[in-house]
Amino acid sequence: MLVEKFFDHISNWSKFWFGLIFLGSIINELANQSGMFISVSSLYLWTYGLGAMIGLIAKFRGAWF
Amino acid sequence: MVLINSKDVSSQFSFEKEKAIAKSFSQRFQWEMILIGIGQAMIWLSLWPLVINGIIPLWAGFCIASLCACFAYLPSHESQHGNYSRGNPKMRWLDSLVGHITLITLISPYEILRVTHMKHHAYTNDHEKDPDYLSAHSGSLLKTIKRAADGSSVSDYEKSLEVFANDKNFVNSYTKAIPIALLYRATLLTLVVIFPLETLLLWWMPAKIGTVYTVVFFAYLPHLGTSKGRYKDTRFWSHWMPRYINHSMQLHFIHHLHPGIGHYDEPKAIEALKPFLVERGVPGADQIPDKISYNPLIKIN
Repeated sequence: MLVEKFFDHISNWSKFWFGLIFLGSIINELANQSGMFISVSSLYLWTYGLGAMIGLIAKFRGAWF
Repeated sequence: MVLINSKDVSSQFSFEKEKAIAKSFSQRFQWEMILIGIGQAMIWLSLWPLVINGIIPLWAGFCIASLCACFAYLPSHESQHGNYSRGNPKMRWLDSLVGHITLITLISPYEILRVTHMKHHAYTNDHEKDPDYLSAHSGSLLKTIKRAADGSSVSDYEKSLEVFANDKNFVNSYTKAIPIALLYRATLLTLVVIFPLETLLLWWMPAKIGTVYTVVFFAYLPHLGTSKGRYKDTRFWSHWMPRYINHSMQLHFIHHLHPGIGHYDEPKAIEALKPFLVERGVPGADQIPDKISYNPLIKIN
């Protein structure tokens, strides 16, 4: 039952988790390496938040593009 | 006149004779494919320490990984058809081993690709039952590229689970592969937190490039403009690209007719079977050169 719920969650929210973790990590790394946002405090909140937002939009649109 | 029905085909070109010729090309051990499959996976794996330790730059790693990804599918394809074990139950482990290892580069679970590919062969160009139908008949090359890049082709395979819900073997094999698909996803998401750009450029992007390459050359171009039927669902085609660059997919029709023929034996098999293919009206068969072995099949309009 719990396993089934877990699989359901994964298949329904996969785009959100991919956005948060995968895109968030990439955006965070690029932001750090660019040095343009050095003065922004808690930059990771913005970068991972942006990744999560892209993932959430893709989830509700049903497609990435 | 194109002859379609077997009753219209003279006994000289009977299916039994065609099958006997094809069988003579379906015996050889496919060692090249094993070398390519395991080799590209090992090269891809070695890129990680080489890039992380700064021995080679990330951009070079990306180029090599993308090349590996383009070579990744074909060895698994031979596995899917059991072309390493050749019906020997004691050798089936080899099909499975090569199939699983070579697909790591493409982040794809072997069993899902195997069972959906078997359905593709059984129902080629059937808009409901062929899992590759939308990749092959999207309407344009750009649409096919987009579908492969955004993961729509993977969603097609998920839908086939509903289409073949009553096929116990299909469902069992498919569900058996789901934990592997999740393991791939978990590994990708763990690695990206630790090595963000390396994961992007050594695995995710190359896998996308390899998937687009595979879908375009294996699913789209060989089935473009074809219909249903054993001798009608795949075509002989040629274009500006030498066949060595696209895994000789101009010759993919022979694989649909006789999947047991090893990939590197297909040119010789086609030369031997050409009269049968022309007689049966395989699309484009009349344009097949008499000698294919070293012919790059280039056509510039």
